[in-house]
Amino acid sequence: MGSMTLYVEKNSIIHNIDPLTKLLYVFVSIAATYIVPAHEFVLLVAAFSLLLLVLGKVFVKILPIIAISIILIISIIIVQGMFHPDNETILFSVGVITFYQEGLSYAALLTLRVINMLSAFGVLILTTKPDELIERLIKKGMSPKIGYVFLSVLQIIPQMRATMAKITDAQRSRGMETEGNLLVRLKAFFPLIGPVVLNSLNDTRERAIALEMRGFNTKGKKTFLNESQEYPYRKVMQLLLAAGLIAAIMWRILL
Amino acid sequence: MSIVDVEGLKYKYPDTDKLVLDDISFKVEKGEFIGLIGRNTAGKSSLCFALSGLIPHFFKGAYGGKVLIDGAEIKQHDMGEIAANIGLVFENPFSQMTGSKYSVYEEIAFGLENIGIEREKMISRIDESLELLDITAIKDNNPFDLSGGQMQRVAIASVIAMRPDVLILDEPTSQLDPQGSAEVFKVVENLTNEGITIIMAEHKMEKVSQYADKVLLLDNGKIIDYDTPANVFSRDDLLEFGIAAPVVTRVAKALGIKDAQSGEYPVTLAEISRENW
Repeated sequence: MGSMTLYVEKNSIIHNIDPLTKLLYVFVSIAATYIVPAHEFVLLVAAFSLLLLVLGKVFVKILPIIAISIILIISIIIVQGMFHPDNETILFSVGVITFYQEGLSYAALLTLRVINMLSAFGVLILTTKPDELIERLIKKGMSPKIGYVFLSVLQIIPQMRATMAKITDAQRSRGMETEGNLLVRLKAFFPLIGPVVLNSLNDTRERAIALEMRGFNTKGKKTFLNESQEYPYRKVMQLLLAAGLIAAIMWRILL
Repeated sequence: MSIVDVEGLKYKYPDTDKLVLDDISFKVEKGEFIGLIGRNTAGKSSLCFALSGLIPHFFKGAYGGKVLIDGAEIKQHDMGEIAANIGLVFENPFSQMTGSKYSVYEEIAFGLENIGIEREKMISRIDESLELLDITAIKDNNPFDLSGGQMQRVAIASVIAMRPDVLILDEPTSQLDPQGSAEVFKVVENLTNEGITIIMAEHKMEKVSQYADKVLLLDNGKIIDYDTPANVFSRDDLLEFGIAAPVVTRVAKALGIKDAQSGEYPVTLAEISRENW
């Protein structure tokens, strides 16, 4: 049965990097594009994130994600291009619509930031098994309960969707109209959502019991089935990332 | 000392007036298999919850009396400590999967990770319970991709791997198809041979009479009888408590086949065929 993870199982250099290093990269690369608001620099960072995706053999997978955000990007271009407060230099006009250079330049910066943000998260999410990432974080001291919430959601939501489909079929077989115009669908909504909610409440209670019986609330130290993997150059990479962030901050303060 | 010792246990759920467990007292010796029978709402599940500590720790409400497991009073310990000593498996196999693990192997490890078992020990225990529950072949599958019977066996394996003193099975096959229940009962039989103390609530009387050393008959929150299967199923008033004796016993009653010495009716096929008629 489907899980909601976007992880792509492949063997690449990026897949073999410590999940925490990748998490740190997401943070540093996004922060850096805000600390240093220079077009060339942001372009460079975004290009680097995309390069990492290529190295991770998952570049194709990021395209639909960027495509989804195209509406956001277009609205940024329109709003900033036409209405940015610094707008002075007219670039071109189409009828009554006028685009200004300053606004478009700022829009370009924002667009690059968005693309970098998506790509950096892509590097983390597309090349890291969610359970591996969460387990690393728990070993670093994150609460196992929070970790459980993140992980179980990925599997339980598809299960709930399957239950929803089952209930829809059951109600349909009793003659309920679930397709048609808005009013029909609206009428069908409550008889469908009622059983789904009750069913998941009951499941949640039972799952809570099962977790209790599996010692989820045991105080004391947890152990792990999977041994911590040794990642080559983990320290070096993390130091480089930290140094990069500090350099960006220094640049901002000094220049 | 008895492994399970219940003294005057009384309980009612919050916001209700009725005692679902009314002055329950009984003892279970180590290695015994207890069949827990009674009609729906008789209190079987509540008793299972009380033995596993969920009552009073998970379900609040009015609680009286004592439940001692291996000499330790349930009420004085928290769920984390209790979970290491008592295993509970209930009806719905689906909701017993944690949902945070991607393979059967890791699913079984979940409980062991929580109670802090060392890695080497963990692996040997997981392998052992995979073997015992006959699910080694599916150890790399996603728990949610399994059939009901397989999922329920994973649920039992996950609990067994924690090496509980007492294993409580609350109608483990009532949501399974005949094949799934047959699979589960087969492994229950394996478990009885391992000498684990098991308390099983069950509606299938043939199975109860086959496995149980003793049968505890509940009705309306009270213990009606606690005796050997032969004695309990030989009662004439079983129907009043919503219980139908095993087919073998009913046939024997109709034909008047009784054990000459004890005066009890046979409860399993093996017993009835031993008689020389």
